[in-house]
Amino acid sequence: MTGQATSRRVLVLRCPDWLDRDSVGGDSVGARAFESVVAIVGEFCPQVEVLRPGICAIGTRGPARYFGGEAELARKLTEAVGRGGFACQAGVADGLFAAGLAARAGPAGLLVRPGETPEFLAGLPVYALDMPELCELLPRLGIETLGQLAALPPAEAASRFGPPGKLASRLARGLDPRPLIPRRPAADLSVQLEFDPPAEQSEPVIFAAKALADQMHDRLAAAGLACVRVQVQVRCADGQELSRLWRHDGLLSALAVAERVRWQLDGWRGAAGITLLRLVPDQLVRATGRQLALWGDSVPSDRVARAAIRVQAMLGHDRVTRPVLAGGRRPAEQVLLVPFGDAAVPQRPAGQPWPGQVPPPAPATVFGVPLPASVADDSGNEVTVSGRAQPSAPPASLAVAGRPASTVIAWAGPWPVTERWWDPRHARRQARFQLVTEDGAAWLAALQDGRWLIEARYD
Amino acid sequence: METGLAQVISLSPARHRDDVLTGAGLLPVLPALRELLPGGLQRGSVVTSGGWGLLSLSLAAGAVADGAWCAIVGVPAAGLRAAAQAGLEPDRLLLVAEPGPGWAQVVASLLDGFDIVLLRPPGQPSAQLRRKLEAAARRYGSVLLVAGDWPGAQSRLLVTDAEWTGIGLGHGRLRARKAQVIASGRGAGERPRLAWLWLPGPDGAVTAAAAPAGVAVAGPQGDYAGAAEPLASSG
Repeated sequence: MTGQATSRRVLVLRCPDWLDRDSVGGDSVGARAFESVVAIVGEFCPQVEVLRPGICAIGTRGPARYFGGEAELARKLTEAVGRGGFACQAGVADGLFAAGLAARAGPAGLLVRPGETPEFLAGLPVYALDMPELCELLPRLGIETLGQLAALPPAEAASRFGPPGKLASRLARGLDPRPLIPRRPAADLSVQLEFDPPAEQSEPVIFAAKALADQMHDRLAAAGLACVRVQVQVRCADGQELSRLWRHDGLLSALAVAERVRWQLDGWRGAAGITLLRLVPDQLVRATGRQLALWGDSVPSDRVARAAIRVQAMLGHDRVTRPVLAGGRRPAEQVLLVPFGDAAVPQRPAGQPWPGQVPPPAPATVFGVPLPASVADDSGNEVTVSGRAQPSAPPASLAVAGRPASTVIAWAGPWPVTERWWDPRHARRQARFQLVTEDGAAWLAALQDGRWLIEARYD
Repeated sequence: METGLAQVISLSPARHRDDVLTGAGLLPVLPALRELLPGGLQRGSVVTSGGWGLLSLSLAAGAVADGAWCAIVGVPAAGLRAAAQAGLEPDRLLLVAEPGPGWAQVVASLLDGFDIVLLRPPGQPSAQLRRKLEAAARRYGSVLLVAGDWPGAQSRLLVTDAEWTGIGLGHGRLRARKAQVIASGRGAGERPRLAWLWLPGPDGAVTAAAAPAGVAVAGPQGDYAGAAEPLASSG
């Protein structure tokens, strides 16, 4: 196979503004605004692949020649995006996986020279793989870096850890996740629909996109193939054409593809009606069952998927989610919600130790937005915490979100937590308490910037 | 909305009746809950668990561990780490945090597909709406777990007494909660069942606990109180 051939050179552009959101992938408002970043990148290279809102990639071979080398390309690109008002990082390496990590490697990103990708990867921890099960298992076996994983014979990795191990081994060696099928029979697998008269509204186009995507998935399945990316081409009555590449990995449902068509149309103010919608599967790979299994997920049965998709049709794609446990110190940070049908890629791996994490048992109610509260001592004064983590007085009463105060019958803390001191935008200093009130309820409270907040309830 | 719901129900034939008839009539529950729900959760039934809490999550945990799928509807603040610690695998969970005004239709659609739908209804649903959802659960052989009140429920579980251990006045931390849970059925002749549970235990798991009854809590269940005395108590 083409397995040992080196990966193509890729530049990944990463915009932290979108990625710091607590939910991945699903936010269509975010996706809409990201379209303007993609448009800027599109001026450098027309083939932009959107991995998810906040991250996109281009192949560097052509544009680097034109713009005077990869370093120059990366510099000009980040400058142009910066002028557009968006912070970004650019990473260049062999293959998408390494380029994505290179983009995160420094404040402005990193350029890994051709052929040096394995060395770059070797020093990174296995958590970089974002494969929760493996990331917990490997360190226990003494494999802590991608270099150590790459040193394992590939066949051994595959037989010991199954398909995820095979994938991980390929990634660690700087290869593409799965060998591409060299010929491109994409043309016969593409599907399209013409609109006559031209569709003036986007809704009918999005509706048609779902049916088209179903058709495309059927054709791919019949050929035993899955696509890594899907190209969505839209043509207007005035001849204008807008084409975008979206990451697919065999993971998107028809509805998720339709949702991407919606993002694409929302971000684009075409003047005339739409005359043609075409979906072209790009980069075909052999289908190895539902690729969901690669992420350690359970594969939903058709019956389950049908019910979930029916509800997505009622409420919207991103209001029906699957939880993915992730790392983080605050209970609300420890879960990512991924729209049903999308791939789960936690940014903060759960396997990592998070010093300052609230110890188990975990609370059954976690407020995404903490509730305002007031904690007073015996004489009714608000309890404060000194710089040396001493409370001004024992907490005696708790009032949550404006409700009447109830007496505190047990308490513990404060536990000081300083998070992300290196990042002024996300830095957070808190003093945490656990409080039990006379009605038997137990609370996780925090004092932050002089304000009491309730983060969770144990019930 | 009512008509929409009727449509959803009438559009889907009773495909899963076979499952119900061929002895798959019970979904397993966690070992600690077997005393309260002998045999498990009856497919096609409605089970309530008082308000939202770990009890609601743990009721679904046994079946999900056995391969069932569960949808949680109307609980934006569901603590999923707690769910995982209680044995409810996030892998087979679906969340519909905000089902909106058409929530009943959402629940009816999910009952046709998911083995368990864990619902916190917004407000008090009408008797007519309740009957329709009960019919949907029966038809598809799924279980509707309600975190709230539901007059027609086949089984009701309620935390009637609970105390936290491990935390004192300025020392220790929340370690475990010992709770008394009472299960009652709809049948008039059925006696309520009572059990003491660690809800949760120190690792977040839900296990059987010994009744307090003034005796030292030790022995096979272990004593999670640590240095501090049991403190909080609710009636």
